[in-house]
Parts: sequence; structure tokens; C-alpha cells
Amino acid sequence: MTAWHMDEDMVQRYTAGTLAATPTASVEAHLLACARCRDLIEVPRERLDRLWDGIADAVDVPVPGPFERLLRLLGVREHTARLLGAASSLRLSWLAAGALALLFTLLAARETSRWGVLFFLTVAPVLPVAGVGMAFGRGADPAHGIGLAAPYSAFRIMLMRALAVLAATAVPATVLGLPLLGQTWALAAWLLPAIALTVLSLALASWFEPLYSAAAVSSVWVLVVVGGNVREPSPVMFGAGGQLVFLILTIASGALLVARRKEFS
Amino acid sequence: MIEAIDLVKVYGRQRALDGLSFRTGPGVTGLLGPNGAGKSTLIRTLATVLAADGGTLSILGRDPVADRLEIRRRLGYLPQEPGCHRGFTVFEFIDYVAILKELVDRRARHDEVRRVIGEVGLGEVSGKKIRKLSGGMRRRVGIAQALLGEPELVLLDEPTAGLDPEQRLRFRDLISRIGESRTVILSTHQTEDVAALCGRVVVLKRGRVEFEGTPEELRALAEGRTWLSGERAGVLSWRTGEGLFRNIGAAPDGARLVEPTIEDAYLLLLGEAAWEAAA
Repeated sequence: MTAWHMDEDMVQRYTAGTLAATPTASVEAHLLACARCRDLIEVPRERLDRLWDGIADAVDVPVPGPFERLLRLLGVREHTARLLGAASSLRLSWLAAGALALLFTLLAARETSRWGVLFFLTVAPVLPVAGVGMAFGRGADPAHGIGLAAPYSAFRIMLMRALAVLAATAVPATVLGLPLLGQTWALAAWLLPAIALTVLSLALASWFEPLYSAAAVSSVWVLVVVGGNVREPSPVMFGAGGQLVFLILTIASGALLVARRKEFS
Repeated sequence: MIEAIDLVKVYGRQRALDGLSFRTGPGVTGLLGPNGAGKSTLIRTLATVLAADGGTLSILGRDPVADRLEIRRRLGYLPQEPGCHRGFTVFEFIDYVAILKELVDRRARHDEVRRVIGEVGLGEVSGKKIRKLSGGMRRRVGIAQALLGEPELVLLDEPTAGLDPEQRLRFRDLISRIGESRTVILSTHQTEDVAALCGRVVVLKRGRVEFEGTPEELRALAEGRTWLSGERAGVLSWRTGEGLFRNIGAAPDGARLVEPTIEDAYLLLLGEAAWEAAA
């Protein structure tokens, strides 16, 4: 039996949850043995619920994956981060594979002078297109059938995931590209083609499976670049004129995508 | 609750729903029919995943085209091949579907996820990866997600296919409990499921409703038309374990009539289509 008991100030601070961690632990140890002090404690229902939720979450809510945690750190809302983190191409293994592919592309581009930059400019836009193709749809999302009958907009999920894939490709391209390639114009020049091809493959996904539309767009892209440069490799199609064409393609594909948005739900 | 009049759905040259009409309300309604009869197409249409090409459809008193979102907020849907993210835990997967169902408030959502996991008896394996669960447990995960948000209408597309008898028994218990307070549409080709669970049954054949009524009314169709004999006769017949032939169809004079089952009546309704579907 102890002679020490909680005073009024301590009771108030404990019930309000404003007592520091160490005295809180001492108070709780004391409360276990002291019925007199227990009678003084009246924790508000709301705080009890919060405490209980914390305990329940710690027991059965799984720890989010690294990509989901990163999104949360960047300020993305919890439920949006979960929707993005569920996409196979936004999981760590896929992102790591994408970064590795990009690294090899950059290394190859640095080593081969004749085709180097052109090789990078051809391959880099294909990575986000492939990632977007793997981010939603029947072939990439096991729960696609369930999601079709859910009220959350499939079009919105698709756009969010496409944006996340684009960002997840652009960041390593810039981080790896600057020291390896060293040509800042090339690091900027791939971005608009990547956006144009991604938006085009999204628009085509309103007719075909996203995976197929991504494969078709990527194949046509590679054929066009190789065909246009087979005699003399030149990055001229990525110059100012070419960028304007990619901008027009982005706008036209975007308009088509918006016009076809109802097909996704 | 659901009213379909002359519903039509066409895939190329095939009419998956060919002027189908039926009406149903609270309780469990069984959709019975062979493969290709239009069961899954009808379920997908009721789930607002497919739009009908013709006819009139009212789901929960609403138009599935104009009020699609409103209907989706009030229904639970288990597709024939639901698919799960197998790397997710049970809790994670249900939580993911809960977000798709617009349950965005974290606390309320987690409470609801715990509720449905408990309702299907998976509380013990809530933290287990889906890939480590048995087939029957995975089906229960599918049902759990369909119960999120207390839906008024639950659509289950062949939930008992491929389950062993013990698992089916557990499922029947689960589905009957779900049907106590909701409208459940259960697509199946298991006549035993219909007999055990359903207050109403709709038999589909080539995209049309061949029968609509209670299981007992269905069974009564084969009354006086099911008999045993030493030789093959009737529209459909097969040899039983006793060495006699169980025949279904117009019985000859003096035939040894037997008590029909729902399966007998179902086969009688399908007639030649039963053999075609089995081929």
C-alpha cells in the first residue's frame, strides 16, 4: 500500500492526455494497484475510442509498403496512397526493375557514341508506357472485376496511377541521367514523348486492354524511331519541331481520353 | 427491388440475354442454368458492370444507366472469378476494396473491415497473406468484400463452384445468414444450393427465363414425370447405382413413379439443352 496518491492537477492532466510519457507510465503503474486513484479517473469516451483504435490498428492493420509510406511522407492522403500502392507497377520490385532498366539504358547510351543518346531517347519513354499498362486493367489488377462494380471512379484511379508512374520514372531518369549522360537537353527531351505516348496508350485503353494498348504504342514508337534513323542516326526528331509534334499528340490524345472517359466505368 | 423486362444483351451474333424478364425481392433468389444460359451476363448487368442493349431494368428502384453510382453504393458483388491481390493480407485486401467502395475515413473503414472479416469467420487469419489461404477461405474473402458497407443487394456469381461438401455447407450457412436481412442473387448450377438456400428460383435457358417460382414449385414440375425402369426411356435418363434407369419425361402407363427432386425438374426444363451444356 502506498501513501502517495494523485493530486487534482495530475488527474486533470492525465485524463486530458497532456501528461508527459514518463509520469504517465508511473501513474498507470500506480493506478493498477490503487482503487482510490482509479475512482478519480474519468477518461473521456472519445479518448478511450482513440486509444482502442490505436491498439486495434497495431494488432491487425498491416504496415504499408515502402512506396505507400513514401507517398504518405509526400503528403498523399492515406486512402489514395493505398490505391496507388496496390498497382503492381507501383510496387517496389517493379520500380526497382524500372530503375535498373533505366540505368543500363543510360550506361549503354554513354558507351556508344553513334546511337547513344538516340537509344536513350527511344527507350526511356517506353518505361512509363509499360508501367501504365501494368498499373490497371484486367491483366494487371487481380481485383479488376470487383473494382468494376465499385463506386470509386476507375477513370480517376487510372489517371492517378499514370501520374504516379510518370513521376516514378522521371525522378530516377533525372537522378541517374545527370551524372551518367551529362546531356541535360536529352534528359528533358524524352519527357514530352513519354507523356504523349502515355496519354495515347491511356486513350487506346478505352478500346483495348491497357496492357495491349501499351504494347502496341511502344512497338509503333520503336519502329518509327528506328525507321526514321536507320540511315543516319540523328536526334533531330527530339528537337524543337519534334517536341511541338509531341505536344500536339499529347493534347489530341488527352482530348480523346476525356471524350472516352465513360468507357472506363 | 429488381425488375427486368425483355432484357437483351448481344455479343456479336450471340444473344446472351434474349428478352429476359423476371422480378425479385428480399431473401435469396437462385439463378439456375447451364453454362452459356446467361447467368453471369445477367449478374454483371445487375452489378452495373455491363449495360443491357435493350429492355427495361430497375435495380433497387433505380435506373442502372442514370443512377449507376447510387446503385453501386448499395450493392455488393462477387464475380465468378473474383481475383485477389495474393500478396496482400486478408485485412489489406478488404481494406483496399473498402476504399474502392468510397469508405475513405480510416477509422470507420477499419471498423467496417473488421466487421465483415468477422461476419465470414476469418478473424483468426485477418493478418495472413491471401496466397497462404485455402480455396474455401479465399472464397470467404470474396464474400467479405461483397458485404462491405451493409449493401441492400448482394450479387454472388457461382460462389460455391469448386468447393468440397464441407466448405459448401459452411457457405450455405453464411449465405442464408446474409439473406436474412438483404436481397441476395445467387448464380449457380448446383440444384442442391437452390434447394438448401433459395426462397425463389429463376431458371435460365439460352438467355431467357424458363421458369420463375419457388423451389417447391420447380420440383413439382417433375411430379408424375420421373420414374425408374429397367431400360432407358423418357427425355433424359441415366443408370442409377441400383442398376435401374432414372427417366425423366412423359411417363408410360404402369411406370414406377418416384418422388422427383429439384434436379429432375431442372433437367426436364432444360431438356436437350442439358445434354448440349454437358457436351
